[in-house]
Amino acid sequence: MACELNFGWTATIGEVVIGATKADGGTRRLSYRIGGGTTLPFMEDQAGSPSPLIALEICDYLPFWSPIAKNYCGDMTNSVSEWAKAADGTYGADLIRLYLTSTRQRNFSDIASLGKVVEDVLLASSLPLIIEGSNEPKIDSEVFQKCGEVAQGERLLLGTAEAGKYRSIAAAALAYNHSIIAQSPIDINLAKQLNILLKEIGVQRDHIVIDPYTGALGYGFEYSYSAMERIRFSALKGDSDLAMPMICSAPDSLTIKEVREAEPAVQDEMAIQWEFYTCLAAAAAGAEIVCVRHPGTIPLLRKAFADMKKPGAAAEVR
Amino acid sequence: MALKALDIYKLLPKKNCKECGDPTCLTFAMKLAGGKADIELCPYLSDEAKSVLGASTRPPIRLVRVGMGERFFKVGEETVLYRHEKTFYHPPGIVFRVSDTQTPAEIAAVTRRVRDETFTRVGADLRFSGIAIENTSGSAETFAKAVATVEAEQAHLPPVLIAKDPAAHAAALVHCGSYRPLLHAATGENYKVMCALAKKYGCPLVIRAATPDGLARMVKDCTAEGVQDLVLDPAPENLGTFLTRSTQIRQLAITRLVPELGYPVYLDATATGQQDAAVALGIVKYASVIVTDPLSPGATKASLTLRQNIYTDPQKPIQMNPGLYRVGTPDKDAPVLMTVNFSLTFFTLQGYLESTRVPCFMLIVDTEGLSVLTAVAAGKLSEMLVRDSIKKFGVENEVTHRKLIIPGYASPLSGRIEDATGWKVLVGPRDAAEIGEFLHEEWKK
Ligand code: B12
Ligand code: SF4
Repeated sequence: MACELNFGWTATIGEVVIGATKADGGTRRLSYRIGGGTTLPFMEDQAGSPSPLIALEICDYLPFWSPIAKNYCGDMTNSVSEWAKAADGTYGADLIRLYLTSTRQRNFSDIASLGKVVEDVLLASSLPLIIEGSNEPKIDSEVFQKCGEVAQGERLLLGTAEAGKYRSIAAAALAYNHSIIAQSPIDINLAKQLNILLKEIGVQRDHIVIDPYTGALGYGFEYSYSAMERIRFSALKGDSDLAMPMICSAPDSLTIKEVREAEPAVQDEMAIQWEFYTCLAAAAAGAEIVCVRHPGTIPLLRKAFADMKKPGAAAEVR
Repeated sequence: MALKALDIYKLLPKKNCKECGDPTCLTFAMKLAGGKADIELCPYLSDEAKSVLGASTRPPIRLVRVGMGERFFKVGEETVLYRHEKTFYHPPGIVFRVSDTQTPAEIAAVTRRVRDETFTRVGADLRFSGIAIENTSGSAETFAKAVATVEAEQAHLPPVLIAKDPAAHAAALVHCGSYRPLLHAATGENYKVMCALAKKYGCPLVIRAATPDGLARMVKDCTAEGVQDLVLDPAPENLGTFLTRSTQIRQLAITRLVPELGYPVYLDATATGQQDAAVALGIVKYASVIVTDPLSPGATKASLTLRQNIYTDPQKPIQMNPGLYRVGTPDKDAPVLMTVNFSLTFFTLQGYLESTRVPCFMLIVDTEGLSVLTAVAAGKLSEMLVRDSIKKFGVENEVTHRKLIIPGYASPLSGRIEDATGWKVLVGPRDAAEIGEFLHEEWKK
């Protein structure tokens, strides 16, 4: 009896392109096509199927950032350009995820400065870019508009749309041909609903990346893990409203008790392992982009993903 | 193919003697059909009935026990491929490896670490599970000495014996044979001798083969030798191979397509050259016994937490009983802090309260295990619930004041709680880490 793994799935995860090279009208040195899966993560037949991408998260305003990441990266964090350059060169990330934390200051209104930040980051690194805009409905529209415009042609991934706030992001994405992150709180039905809302206002499926919301390891991660598995299987069974690639970021990882209160001598290691265990499990559940804040996590993940992609010799059972 | 209860009943002795623990043969048959009992519980089965029932009635993955005494662990008896379909039942044993070429002091140190190290999270003591001794020296005598060194620590940890040569196992079993060690491994060449040892000492046996096909064949051979407690080592050379083979084994076992694969899976995390990655992957993807070199402080906490997360029942968050809890010995003027009955919330808050050294009461209300924010968002935390809880747990008899501190995230409810309870509500900080400062500044006023 031949016993290949066969789940009877027929559908495919949709593909999303992030980043545009010169040939595609952008300035990035490469672009990624994520998604396209037809079965369990890491078990695709074709050898060329992509490994999950690793994004390093950086920000333009430090008071709202983990001191662990700041201390590790040092002075470069004072210049978002330097930080972005290091993310690309020194740290070897696949993607940069820029958080415009400056917008979270009280009564922030200097929208023009954001354009400059985005330009600087685009110049400092030629990696494809994810941008996290504001959390404040009053300025959302202008913020996303600005980012979208400055990075026109670059095929950004813009974040983060939620059920209560998706219009300004969608507008900027539609106007300048960027893709968006659609986040819902750990619930497959809410994820689906949001995707439908986005579809209704004209955002195409190939411009959406699902963020199922990731609780930190020990702080709700198990729910996120299962939500990711469920979204993936529903997609493979044919639910096209869930058939988008997923992004996983557990931004609380560096602030939870175990990491925050670790002895100074092991704090970096604790932070790295916390991110590493989370991202590895998330990738096994189906995340196509994983995000970290500690640069030390990147090489470990890269090595592990490469090894996970190695196919087992196709085994048969009589 | 699973058999129906009636088909099974026809094969039973129909003595209704109750020795299987069931009142009648019929109820026993029903349990067997549901995969909830083991045929070996009936002492009167004919050999024919045994062979027919054998693989088709036992749970799709056999429960295997490793070790004796307090620290023994059980693995197997899993029923699903994805935890959201039901739950995962038996967390993998994570076992630290020592080599018989290490010094006795080193071996003893690792043993003591596994014995003593605990990491307490949400009220549970998380620990590593056992100790694996590997015969790298090639000498049976050195191996036996290393095992004796471990046993001399009186740690009573489940042992895993790793040796290619059955003679080394025989020598080591003299020292730990009565503690149900897991023997690694039976292969095509040595399985008869290894089975004889496993039978003699009544211990579980790992069988090692690189394909599910090979494993299934060896399961047949070893069960024919009379060994039932088996664990499968699919001998992965890298992480991808592990992922594929363990998924294949789990899938074929739970669907009973290949009942011979219905045994827990063994993973040597050190063999892939990426130990931390292998441990993480083993936890989420079906490994039941994970052998690793002693882990770093970060990997220690991360792996134990991941194992706890993945093996939590998705239908039931880890919960506390609602009620009035004391921190220190609070008197009639002590503050009362309200929170939800999600264990993580309770223990987080309790930890911070203990470090403030202000004796106080914690009023735990029943939000069905939801955290503060989640309960507020889901409407599970209401002013009526708070009012009823104050009454039910007799808070009014414990303190003379009428002031209730609520979590910062519950602030939208503050007015309504005041109206419903008649208590004055103080909105505390959002982050429990700031509770000390809050109590010193706001409560003392
Ligand atoms: C895991 C999780 C879930 C799990 C449930 C886990 C559980 N047992 O509660 C699941 C997946 C089931 C879930 C469901 C939902 N969730 Co949810 N979930 C989370 C997540 C990721 C973590 C929650 C958690 O475990 N926190 C840790 C505990 C310890 O926090 P805590 O209880 O608040 O306690 C802290 C403080 O409140 C304080 N504190 C506690 N008690 C007290 C007492 C006093 C006196 C003081 C001073 C302080 C204090 O101390 C603690 C540590 O600082 C959060 C995001 C987040 N980062 O919080 C979202 C989150 C809470 N969920 C959210 C939502 C909307 C939901 C749903 C309504 C959506 C849905 N899926 O339908 C449902 C509702 C549940 C339902 N209908 O059954 C939103 C809430 C939005 C809002 N601001 O109102 C959040 C914030 C996610 C988001 N950003 O959208 N969720
Ligand atoms: S032990 Fe066997 S014979 Fe006795 S009641 Fe149970 S099934 Fe029937």
